[in-house]
Amino acid sequence: MDNIGWGLQMTVLGMGLVFALLALLWLLLTLVLKLDKEPEVEVTAQEATVEAERIAAIADAAVGAQTPEPPTVKGMPADLVAAILVATHRHRQTMRRQAAPLVRSVWPGSQLFASRWLATGRARQNNNWQPRGR
Amino acid sequence: MIDQETIGLLMKGVNAVSWQSLVMIGVSFVLFYLAIAKDYEPLLLLPIGAGCLLANLPLSPLVADDGMLQSLYNMGVGNEMFPLLIFIGIGALTDFGPLLENPKFVLLGAAGQFGIFLTLLLALLLGFTQNEAASIGIIGAIDGPTSIYVSGILAPHMLGPITVAAYSYMSLVPIILPPVIRFLTTKEERLIRMPYSSRKISRRTRIIFPIVVIAMVGTLVPFATPLIGMLMLGNLMKESGVVERLTKASSNEIANAVTLFLGLAIGSTMVGEDFLKSSTLFILILGLLAFALDGCAGVIFAKILNWISGGKVNPIIGAAGISAFPMAARVCQRVAQEEDFENFLLMHAMGANAAGQVASVVAGGVLLALMGAGG
Repeated sequence: MDNIGWGLQMTVLGMGLVFALLALLWLLLTLVLKLDKEPEVEVTAQEATVEAERIAAIADAAVGAQTPEPPTVKGMPADLVAAILVATHRHRQTMRRQAAPLVRSVWPGSQLFASRWLATGRARQNNNWQPRGR
Repeated sequence: MIDQETIGLLMKGVNAVSWQSLVMIGVSFVLFYLAIAKDYEPLLLLPIGAGCLLANLPLSPLVADDGMLQSLYNMGVGNEMFPLLIFIGIGALTDFGPLLENPKFVLLGAAGQFGIFLTLLLALLLGFTQNEAASIGIIGAIDGPTSIYVSGILAPHMLGPITVAAYSYMSLVPIILPPVIRFLTTKEERLIRMPYSSRKISRRTRIIFPIVVIAMVGTLVPFATPLIGMLMLGNLMKESGVVERLTKASSNEIANAVTLFLGLAIGSTMVGEDFLKSSTLFILILGLLAFALDGCAGVIFAKILNWISGGKVNPIIGAAGISAFPMAARVCQRVAQEEDFENFLLMHAMGANAAGQVASVVAGGVLLALMGAGG
């Protein structure tokens, strides 16, 4: 029972001291930052995450940081990024099919793109049913 | 002709095999499996496994008084040098910017140390001595070098299991923290988005930070000076930018060599006769509990901060107030994104995580001070 009393005393004292020391550190850091007078600017969460990922990537090399983490791309799981890429590509293909005949090999807007009317006219010229020379 | 004596000499190794050494060789295989197949802390678990295997082979000359493993132990573990050298490397790789941007998160780091003292209480209840209980509690710092440093001073005979628990559980942070977070928070709390504002941290502030921390902690808790001193020395070298060669050497060559030596030396303490005790099992269980308790305390404290701030703090980041940097922060980010894919908490969690790193060292020093040891 004495040991438990001692343990409780240690817990209260220990956590009290840890909190007091870190609160003091908070105060000191706030003071240093005030003296530094660097302006505070709003950033988007994505921007902050990219910066955090950069910091984390450096710390990953430390001993004790080797965790079997799934690979990530800018904070997102790599397999999810791959799935998004595949979905985007499929969507692009679908849009293309819906927007033009299957035979079209270039995207509308390209200099190689020809409208249906123009394509039909060219086809008629190239495949004339009348014999040559008449 | 081969006489009986020669056969006896040839069979000396086989005759010296004991069931304890066989079990420990099995343990070394488990460590190899975790390191190689599961990729759990391979940098440490593989050398520890090798040390354990080499120390438990019959009549191993490596653990004799002048054997290599014993010499490594005397050279850097018995006098606490190896964990301190590793700390220089960790300091050189750690960017405290996220903490400097949000200094209030330093309190989350403090809350994340509750597990140390709660585990100490549990260890006392299980009949461990005060020094042993404090050494088991320090697993809750979730910081390998701190655990080695403190337990090496308070209970050197328990160094093996404590180190194995500290490092292998550190790899389990992604498995331990998510259920703790989900259990203690509601869906609404996990969905809280925290606003971002970025403050440019000048080079001057980055240089002042390690000096202030060393001066403050070293003065108020002299027992923590070796730990915080080396961590901040590494960080000062990095931030000053004038000793790039030393910074690179500390975080690469020195850290790698010391990690190998430390792993082998720790593994060599895992000799069957000393390791295979019921106390080892208790250490492993209590260590796991310490991790979970740290996460619980952090999340509960973050919930209190959320309540005080009027709903502006996502309690998930409380779980990052431990020392496992940066994996705890990443776990928090992942849990948050499971609920809301567009919720980006990583920078806030990194702030809490960096605070946890400082706080775990402070807690280790406080523990030593209260025990009247070290220094």
